[in-house]
Amino acid sequence: MAHQAHAYHMVDPSPWPLTGAVAALLVTSGTAIWFHFNSTILMTLGTMLLLLTMYQWWRDIIREGTFQGHHTPPVQKGLRYGMILFITSEVFFFLGFFWAFYHSSLAPTPDLGGCWPPAGITTLDPFEVPLLNTAVLLASGVTVTWAHHSIMEGDRKPAIQSLALTILLGFYFTFLQGLEYFEAPFTIADGVYGSTFFVATGFHGLHVIIGSTFLAVCLLRQIQYHFTSEHHFGFEAAAWYWHFVDVVWLFLYISIYWWGS
Amino acid sequence: MAEDIQAKLEKYRTAPFDARFPNQNQTRNCWSNYLDYHRCQKALDAKGVDTAPCDWYKRVYKSLCPISWIQKWDDQREEGTFPGKI
Repeated sequence: MAHQAHAYHMVDPSPWPLTGAVAALLVTSGTAIWFHFNSTILMTLGTMLLLLTMYQWWRDIIREGTFQGHHTPPVQKGLRYGMILFITSEVFFFLGFFWAFYHSSLAPTPDLGGCWPPAGITTLDPFEVPLLNTAVLLASGVTVTWAHHSIMEGDRKPAIQSLALTILLGFYFTFLQGLEYFEAPFTIADGVYGSTFFVATGFHGLHVIIGSTFLAVCLLRQIQYHFTSEHHFGFEAAAWYWHFVDVVWLFLYISIYWWGS
Repeated sequence: MAEDIQAKLEKYRTAPFDARFPNQNQTRNCWSNYLDYHRCQKALDAKGVDTAPCDWYKRVYKSLCPISWIQKWDDQREEGTFPGKI
């Protein structure tokens, strides 16, 4: 038998899981070395290796799926389950930071003045830049849906335009948040308020950058004719991730920016 | 009124049950009475009235609060860094 009698993908041996594991080791231990011995070499090396691993591993997946036909319907189903489970794990990740925020803000201790926001903290006005940011992300949710429909209809140009617009909106959000961070009257060192604010919004911002990158890869792939109107799971995964990032922002906005002010 | 306060203060043994703070963690009870004593002092002083009624809050917070907390808060009030609203 020269070919398989099933629809699943038996992946060829690959070095990327190993290089990824080594990268994880180097990044973590390298960070500890940086903290204690003021040397960034290990951490930098680990980060380079991590980036190379991600690039090559995902490049290989694109080759296997788009060019070699290995992503049959059952395989795609598995990829869908995988992305959903991953996003679910990210939900739990953020849940922890929301727990921390509510723990400290619902019963503010005497050290804070028994009130929230704590004594001495001037919060950001939720109806200024944060509201604009909310509008930007909601709009990007619309444009990414527009892109999806364009891809499904086989409309190449609108697909490229709406996907590009989504990415631009993502950059605009990141830019605005950067300005807010720079101008904020409080820092991460300002008690539990600063900690909860910057850790929660900071990780969110990181996820916006990750999501924008994922969408940018999809844009390049769309331009290079990788997606068909029936089969474009990479794009769908990016769109799911992007919606997740938007929803996290909505919870952040309501909890920290609005209720927490 | 003032006689009642004196009577209460004379009969005082320890902080009575306060239904506003029914649970094991009595931090808020201590904090609330500490604030109330100093707010009472400030308000009655401003009116030029006898501040004896305020002593009830003092008795309660002295019964409940850890001495280190009282010292820390007194020091903070001295240097103007006390986070509570008095």
